[in-house]
Amino acid sequence: MEEFDFSQPSRQSSKGIIVIFAVNAVKWLRALFPALVALGFGLFRKNSFLTWSPWMIALIIFVLLLLMLGVAVLKYLNFKFHVADDDFHLDTGIIEKDKTIIPKSKIQNVYIQQNFLQQIINVVSLKVESAGDKKSEIEINALSRPMALQLKKALFDRKSATVETNDIFQDEVEANVFFKISIKRLFLEGLLHNHLKSFAIITSFAFGIYYEFKSIIEDLQINDNLDQLTTYEDGLAQVLYLNLLLGFIVLIISIVYSVVRIVIGNFNLEVIENNKTIEISKGLLNKVSLTLTPDKIQNVIVKTNALKRRLNLHSLYVKQAMTNEKQSKNFGIIALEDVHIQHLLDKLLQNYHTSDEKRKPSSYYKRIMAFYSLLFLVLINLIAVVLFDYNALFVNLFLVPFMALSVHYRYKKAYYNITEPFLTVGSGFIDTKKEIINIHKLQAVKLVQNIFQKRRGVASVIVYTASKSVTIPYVNEKQAKSIYDFLLFKVESEGKNWM
Amino acid sequence: MNFTNSQIEDFTIPSLEEVHLKPISKNYFKIIVINKIVVYGIFFLILLMLNRFVDDVAFQDNFWVLFGVLCIFCFIDFTTSYIAFKNRKYAIREHDVIYAKGFLTRSITTVPISRIQHIEESRSWLARQLHLSTLNIFTAGESGSDLTIKGLPKDEAKQINDFLSSKVNGRI
Repeated sequence: MEEFDFSQPSRQSSKGIIVIFAVNAVKWLRALFPALVALGFGLFRKNSFLTWSPWMIALIIFVLLLLMLGVAVLKYLNFKFHVADDDFHLDTGIIEKDKTIIPKSKIQNVYIQQNFLQQIINVVSLKVESAGDKKSEIEINALSRPMALQLKKALFDRKSATVETNDIFQDEVEANVFFKISIKRLFLEGLLHNHLKSFAIITSFAFGIYYEFKSIIEDLQINDNLDQLTTYEDGLAQVLYLNLLLGFIVLIISIVYSVVRIVIGNFNLEVIENNKTIEISKGLLNKVSLTLTPDKIQNVIVKTNALKRRLNLHSLYVKQAMTNEKQSKNFGIIALEDVHIQHLLDKLLQNYHTSDEKRKPSSYYKRIMAFYSLLFLVLINLIAVVLFDYNALFVNLFLVPFMALSVHYRYKKAYYNITEPFLTVGSGFIDTKKEIINIHKLQAVKLVQNIFQKRRGVASVIVYTASKSVTIPYVNEKQAKSIYDFLLFKVESEGKNWM
Repeated sequence: MNFTNSQIEDFTIPSLEEVHLKPISKNYFKIIVINKIVVYGIFFLILLMLNRFVDDVAFQDNFWVLFGVLCIFCFIDFTTSYIAFKNRKYAIREHDVIYAKGFLTRSITTVPISRIQHIEESRSWLARQLHLSTLNIFTAGESGSDLTIKGLPKDEAKQINDFLSSKVNGRI
């Protein structure tokens, strides 16, 4: 294998020009999208725009592209990095020169990623994340894979390295592929996903598009046609039919959307087990590979639903401290089997164990959820009647059973238990969710009680970690207080670190 | 090992109920009152100006109703903030900081000293006049887990700050 010298300032692969160019082009395209659409419509209708001929416009676009290419080349030439002593140095900027230095000890995560374009031209990008705010992230766009791996190694190779970080690389020798997703399970996972979320996304997206292009749609007189459709004599049946049809179409689209999203995002998902760490690599258009280190893990969430459980499909999500929002979405492993989950929990949480005894929230929790649902229903009905007419009340046909089921299942799935040193909290409506934290990772505890809860003698306990908060809802006040005291006692008496 | 109540009693874990929570300085209520007076003063001023310069009959007829509603609002707001003020309490224990607050929804937050990242002491102009200080205690957790104790007497805030800082620094 070729050895690379990182002590001298070096540029990335010259293919980086293409990547920088593409990244900029996408950025510009996104910013200019509305203008381009308007331009397109102008061309479409009058064959000209602001009295410019199509040739003129083509010329302008050509010049713009050339300009962008020039910028990309300059950016490439001015982008140099090297590793000196215990620091990572990066010089960037065409006119305004930026010099970034990150001490190796402050580097939190290094990711290797490969998007679609990078896959074609056979380079990878390397992201360096340091502790600090969201902007403290460096991305090198185009490196050959061996070079990226070596740089990653160089970044973690510290003179004063702690034992754990050294382990990461000694580990990789004895790595074995622990889990590899099969196409069948991948599709099943997509198909049985909770489609409500996609449904909401698609619906809001459709509304967004509609408002964005309202004027255009009005121009095309689709509205008139729709009006004609809806002004038929037998109103109620028509409205019902049309709405059901619309709902059905959106449902189909959202199912396709979630299947495609999950298949693309998790294509070729592989979990590699090292001595101490777990490595995940996945993705079709955008390949990512990341490392999970038990020390940094704050929360672990295991998710499944009734159908998935039947097919032995479980997902595991990990929240790590010092990870930026966007990356943390990738810290999930789907389509795992029961045994895999057990094994991973053991590995990531070190001997995770739980008892079958599930402590339930007070039954008052169920009543208050029912009460809120009722309030919500009344509100929806009022709005429906005021905005539309009595025909709109047919939504209750779906809403009432939905709410009733929601209350029933949310209470049924809510539980908690403490098996030292772990706190497990279950929740969910359609999904069955199990959140696990190690008590030593807690940052603060909060006891919350409103006046109604006080009358009933119940309270909620909120446990904060560095990544997420977990709520134990509506437990007996005395119990809540003893949980509170117990958690603090554990953290304060044993004095273990949270990271 | 399962978590049970009896087990906890065996360990004789320090309990939240034994803690004597200390109310924040009475002077801080003055700050709350002054802030509220300014806000309501503006509202009343607007209402009176409207009364003077707007000729609309519908408005003039209902002026006293509006005035009454604002008065009631003002009264309710003052009483609730007084009660909420009374509920603002804190305590510093050997290993943690406790802060309680709230009127309709009461909460008690505890941050172990070993989890404190840094501490900030801030003082507004008004607080300076009344010799008060605000203590911000930051953890690595999300925003909900940070503590903000307003209305501490200046000297006490400094003592707490010194105590916590020495403990936090001693850790490293």
